[in-house]
Amino acid sequence: MSGLILKLRRFEGVTGFLAFLLMTCGLYLGLVTSPPDFYQGEIVRIMYIHVPFAKTALLAYTLLFAGSLWYLWRRDPVVDNLCHAAAGISFFFTLIALITGAIWAKPAWGTWWSWDPKLTAFLILWMVEAGYLMLRTMIEDAEQRARYAAIVAIVGFVDLPIVYLAAEWWRTLHQPLSISTRGLSLSREMLTPLALMSIGLDVLLMYLLMIRTQMLYLEHLFAAKQGRLLAHRLRDRHEATDPNE
Amino acid sequence: MSVTAILGVDVSKSYRYDLVLSSISLKVARGECYTLLGANGSGKTTLLRLFATLLAPTAGTIEIEGHHSLTQKPEARAHLFFIGHASHLYDDLTAIENIRFALGMRGISVGPSEIKQAIDVMGMGPFGRYKTRHLSKGMQKRLAFAKALLARPRVLLLDEPYASLDEPGIETVNACLKDFLAQGAAVLMSSHDRAHAAAVTHRAGVLRQHLLQEISPSDLPRSYALF
Amino acid sequence: MRSFNLLYWILWKDILSEIRNRAALVSMLFFALNIILIFSVSFSMSDLEEMMPGLIWTAFGFTAVIGLSTSFVAETHNQCLEYYRLLPTPKGMIYLGKLCGNLLFIVIVGLALLPLFVLFLGLHVRQLSWLIAVVFLGALGLANLGTLFSALTVNLRAREVLFPLLLLPLSVPVFIGATEATAGILRGAPQAAYRHWLDLLGIFDLIFTLLSFWMFEWILDE
Repeated sequence: MSGLILKLRRFEGVTGFLAFLLMTCGLYLGLVTSPPDFYQGEIVRIMYIHVPFAKTALLAYTLLFAGSLWYLWRRDPVVDNLCHAAAGISFFFTLIALITGAIWAKPAWGTWWSWDPKLTAFLILWMVEAGYLMLRTMIEDAEQRARYAAIVAIVGFVDLPIVYLAAEWWRTLHQPLSISTRGLSLSREMLTPLALMSIGLDVLLMYLLMIRTQMLYLEHLFAAKQGRLLAHRLRDRHEATDPNE
Repeated sequence: MSVTAILGVDVSKSYRYDLVLSSISLKVARGECYTLLGANGSGKTTLLRLFATLLAPTAGTIEIEGHHSLTQKPEARAHLFFIGHASHLYDDLTAIENIRFALGMRGISVGPSEIKQAIDVMGMGPFGRYKTRHLSKGMQKRLAFAKALLARPRVLLLDEPYASLDEPGIETVNACLKDFLAQGAAVLMSSHDRAHAAAVTHRAGVLRQHLLQEISPSDLPRSYALF
Repeated sequence: MRSFNLLYWILWKDILSEIRNRAALVSMLFFALNIILIFSVSFSMSDLEEMMPGLIWTAFGFTAVIGLSTSFVAETHNQCLEYYRLLPTPKGMIYLGKLCGNLLFIVIVGLALLPLFVLFLGLHVRQLSWLIAVVFLGALGLANLGTLFSALTVNLRAREVLFPLLLLPLSVPVFIGATEATAGILRGAPQAAYRHWLDLLGIFDLIFTLLSFWMFEWILDE
């Protein structure tokens, strides 16, 4: 797996360019040329940022989950670097999704925050990722750090659907449908930029993952190499001087 | 033909930037006692912890009674008993209760008479009924050996067994070790107390500059010059 | 089965230690009493009726977190965790032993909370047996992940900060389910009205007890 991940380096440039292309088109179509919504007006344009970031953050966390499982199975350090990269990127994407969600909610629903099941789940996701990243900074031993972080990531992922379910049941009990994202009907002119941004952001995620994983892997290699260099230097020095005293 | 109980082949250990052990090879047969010597910080504790499967080697293989230390951990651990610097004691429980817990966790059920016998052999006197928070370090060491007596392991790993013990205590420990060896157990220990180690050990080695150098046991008292 | 050994001995050791030094139980009880005191001065009697389930579970939840965060601390005092690592048997049973001990202590505190709520905040208890069932299910929901994360964070610098940060967001379904079920019970609603909340708690408990049992092995060792 680590071989595969490292081989994908070749596609870095292409991926980056593709992401840039897709996102530029998506943003232009969404922010400039697409029609405003009948009910919400211009403010609906923030959807082109909020929704793709949310979707991609979830994709990143899914990768984190899969990577964590893989790490516990195969103990591949590159996969751990991938997990670390995915968590960091997902953390920021989730934050952007939450902030743009709030900015959208105020004019659209009249309140900065609602316990909408999706928003609640994303808030929990963000907190789990914050905990994950904090945990990683506190453990010095690389192997133990990878293991513990993987445990937290897996537990968090399994919990997310349950959090969503609980929040959904709670909402139907306490906040009937007056506040809902389902009130939005998407015309073709809105769907295209949305799709472009979504896919573009996914590609951007891949690009960022490639760069960041590589960076973290180089750090890991550096530490390992130091240890081995020391061993070699010592052997040479020992062979040079006669051990029989 | 002696059976190898403890085997280490080209064992190396390094932490991020520090090399601790470099290609150490070591073989201890059943019924044999090997003493590790070395200055403070030379890696004796690290080497013992590697054999105790508490650490994983950066390179090389370790086998305990023929079981690989990484791929066959449960089997390897079933045969070994490690007495290090930590006492593994619960302060609110008495010495006897701590023994029952430690052995119960290993699946060994011991009766009160057996525990009493082990405590008496180790010369703990009335301290069996004391809560372990009131025991001195030396008494805790005797307690650790009482546990080992009842656990009857095939491989005994000791990190400075004589530390904190008084003279009679050290004599008792040596007697126990001789008993273990007579029953076919293997002992790997580290010590700074060369005179007492010489009384019970068959072989010895010095850890110096990340390498292990074997010396003859008769050299033990005179090995002050080596490091 | 051989490894039930571990469960028995851990439970024996934890209960014996707790009987002797009562640290966890006493600190939890006094913490709970403190919270109830703050509640009783902060809210007027008319508000209380409506907020009762939330108050119960706020008090209970934070008390449980206090108790759980220290559940592995005793194991660090003389490197006892090292002894667990040296054991030849699989470590999942150690988790179950710890879980049973923690659950016992939290449920005791939970059951002590109820009379305190009656006394200081005018709680009208209805259907006591169902209330106890919810306390048990909620306690298990907090204890299963709590025991896992307690072991995870016990040796870390910022344990007191990291433990609640990891546990509380993930326990949101427990709080939602327990509060809604308690609300239904105290209102005297028919069982069908709050049955699905109990199901939620039950599913959460099952999934995360099994998951934590499976993952505990990786905390102690590679």
